[in-house]
Amino acid sequence: MVRVIVNGKEVHVPEGETILTALKKAGDAVPTLCFFGHMYREASCRMCLVELSNGKLVPACAYPVSDGLEVRTDTPRVREARRTVVEFILSIHRIRCWSCPRKGGNCELLKLATAYWVEGIPVCSSCPLYGRDCLVVKGEPCLGPITLAGCSDPCPSNGSPCIGCRGPVTRKDVLEAAAQFYVSNGVELRDVLEVASMFWEGLPNYDSLKASLEEAFKKALGGGED
Amino acid sequence: MGDDGSWNLMSRCCGKCWHSLEYPCRNYIRCRTEGPLCHDDQRCRTLRSERVRYIKEGPNGYRIKVPLASCSIAAGAKEVLDAVKEVVESLGIPSDAVKTVGCTGLCYLDPWLELKAPGMPAALYGNVKPAEVEGILKKYFIENDVSGAYAISERTGKARGEGDVPTLSELDVWRLQVRYVSRNCGVVNPESIEDYIAYGGYRGLDRALRMSPEEVIEEVKKSGLRGRGGAGFPTWLKWRICRNQPSKEKYVIVNADEGDPGAFMNRLLAESDPHRVLEGLIIAGYAVGATKGFIFVRAEKPLMAERLQKAVEEARKHGILGKNILGRGFDFDVEVILSAGAFVCGEETALIAAIEGRATPRQRPPYPAVVGLWGKPTVINNVETLAHVATLMAEGWESFAAYGTERSKGTKMFCVTGAVKRTGAYEVPIGTTLRTLVEKIAGGVKEGRKLKAVQIGGPSGGCVPAHLLDTPIDYESLRDAGAIMGSGGIVVMDDTACMVDVARYFTSFIVAESCGKCFPCRIGTKILYDTLTKITEGKGTLEDLEILESVGRVVRDASLCALGGTAPNPVLSTLRHFRDEYLAHIIDKKCPAGVCTKLLKYRINPDKCVGCGTCAKHCPAGAISKDEKSGKYVIDQEKCVKCGTCVTICPVNAVVKEV
Repeated sequence: MVRVIVNGKEVHVPEGETILTALKKAGDAVPTLCFFGHMYREASCRMCLVELSNGKLVPACAYPVSDGLEVRTDTPRVREARRTVVEFILSIHRIRCWSCPRKGGNCELLKLATAYWVEGIPVCSSCPLYGRDCLVVKGEPCLGPITLAGCSDPCPSNGSPCIGCRGPVTRKDVLEAAAQFYVSNGVELRDVLEVASMFWEGLPNYDSLKASLEEAFKKALGGGED
Repeated sequence: MGDDGSWNLMSRCCGKCWHSLEYPCRNYIRCRTEGPLCHDDQRCRTLRSERVRYIKEGPNGYRIKVPLASCSIAAGAKEVLDAVKEVVESLGIPSDAVKTVGCTGLCYLDPWLELKAPGMPAALYGNVKPAEVEGILKKYFIENDVSGAYAISERTGKARGEGDVPTLSELDVWRLQVRYVSRNCGVVNPESIEDYIAYGGYRGLDRALRMSPEEVIEEVKKSGLRGRGGAGFPTWLKWRICRNQPSKEKYVIVNADEGDPGAFMNRLLAESDPHRVLEGLIIAGYAVGATKGFIFVRAEKPLMAERLQKAVEEARKHGILGKNILGRGFDFDVEVILSAGAFVCGEETALIAAIEGRATPRQRPPYPAVVGLWGKPTVINNVETLAHVATLMAEGWESFAAYGTERSKGTKMFCVTGAVKRTGAYEVPIGTTLRTLVEKIAGGVKEGRKLKAVQIGGPSGGCVPAHLLDTPIDYESLRDAGAIMGSGGIVVMDDTACMVDVARYFTSFIVAESCGKCFPCRIGTKILYDTLTKITEGKGTLEDLEILESVGRVVRDASLCALGGTAPNPVLSTLRHFRDEYLAHIIDKKCPAGVCTKLLKYRINPDKCVGCGTCAKHCPAGAISKDEKSGKYVIDQEKCVKCGTCVTICPVNAVVKEV
């Protein structure tokens, strides 16, 4: 057994184990994405980074423990690194939350994005309405596809469309994909903007958002289905 | 007997010599040059000493050296060699006086020729063209005139024109160098083991095998040698860790996967003196108790691979590799492995994975010295590190520790390229200032230009601005200046270089070479590249600088291997030292160096324009049209693609490039 100090707490873990084991024992969990026990432990997602006393950031899932190792799981550097990694992942993520099988509370990315204040994922990601139950599919101007997630969707869950109270997603590719989703279900730009204007009209970036939406709809109408 | 049946140093002197591969003689190496040692025979002794003299001085003192390394071949050395061979006999010089050697590192002189006749100073001729060869040879050998030479070896007072030609040791480029590990470069024939042994080769191995492995590690420890691959990890410590592992099988690997743009000292060393690298590898294998060694070479450097392969075969043929090496009971063999040339394979865990069959790095620890190739303890050393080992084992650790600084001992080879007068590979003691290396040895930037920065350490390194040129070159000082030693490539930039564009170039290299395993390196470097591109196109905002800094920081801290860990260095170091250039691109939308084409403006000076219309004819974008009123031509800035064709084509130089 070796002694590991996790955020000031002392825990004892068998030699040869990783920091992650020590963290679990200490009750200080770190997020992991690519770690699957004995299946995959290549340390490629870098979400489980922790800071050692020498200032190095190392992945908890692959770094072996040694006696007297000091680990901190929540320093500003660790948080910045994790947040940026979430941003990296999101930046290459093709956001089509409304048609994602992991929606309805199973989205790992949404959990991490909420925990590290990364914006860009729309409300659809946590909406429990699938397939024919989806309000947009029913032809209603629900703002779910273009509103920031994080509210655990009280409105769609209760059958009323999202009204965008948490503010808009501004990422262009998300807007374009959403516009296509609207268009393919017969929802018109006019209806969407009517709902959107209620909460968003006072926003400083409303005009540019409106322009982006208009452009996205124009493209969706011209280009057809993705 | 030699390959062609003639007697050479590797052959027996007489029937009394009992050395064979089955029963190797312990004094084999020393006996080749100083022998015979087991019996006393004046005839045998003369045979050997005459042969050594023949190798070192040439037949009857005649010698024509032609360098054949990738660099000089590219510059036309093969044609020069053919021209030499054609005329040499008609001048009454024995044809075996022509000797092909490796490269001295004086790349700016390629292809060069070194001539030596008895009684004359050896003369070095630079940038020789095949057509000039006959004239040069005639002048030197027939007229005994050295006046056209670039440098001579010494003043003998016997050759004509000596007074006007400097000796090599008077020139900064040679005087300030310390040729420790590169001593044989440009001296021995890299394809001949006999040459290497005549110049004292394999003496280090001979000495090492007489010691215990622990003593060898101790010797390297005393020398203070640190890894020459860039990180500067103490070589002895790596060996000790590996030696202390209980595993029966251990491996040693030469990392000859040199991939930095602008760095070629490993290639130069292995092409010019491959046996030295091999000797170092065998010593390393002996010290850590390895059974097998690998030479991991880039396939893009075929000559280097070929010469290393040849060296391995020759060494095997003479019992320097194989079973019971030199009768000391040490078994060791070496395999040359070609890599397909991914930059990441220079990283040690990726290199191991590449030998195993797929090239992505893995998290360290465990370090390769503990868990390496096929799970066995493995030592990976750079080409130059092992060449140093061979040299210092032959000469004793004191000879190595005599150079360098308190914390980093010895010498290091650097490749100086870019906007300097004398590009080449130079060996200097560690602790020499960048200024000495760049301005004195490499001759500084071209006339009328100002040195702006030096990029040291390739794409993983950083830019050191001109005002920090007095930084001594050692691991710690360079790190403080925001660069790294790296493998030793130095790219010199004058005031025509745009630092944002330089950072963009190196980042584009990393984007292409990232293996894609971990997110920070795969995605982060692309974000850095896109942001830099945006800035060079004049679309950058001040926020982009913050993005560069924060993304760069995270890529550095969070990446899996050293490739990602050092990838943002060019960006971060240029941001630190050349922030004003970034600001010029963002705020003024101008590129001060006039490099970023999107920010340039081409304009036709109406006072100079003669209205010939050549520019309009050649403009690929059709952006130039005639102004009917004045009869002069004007460029439509909207259509202009900034290709610069009009500037080069205008007969009256009326097109001006506006920064």
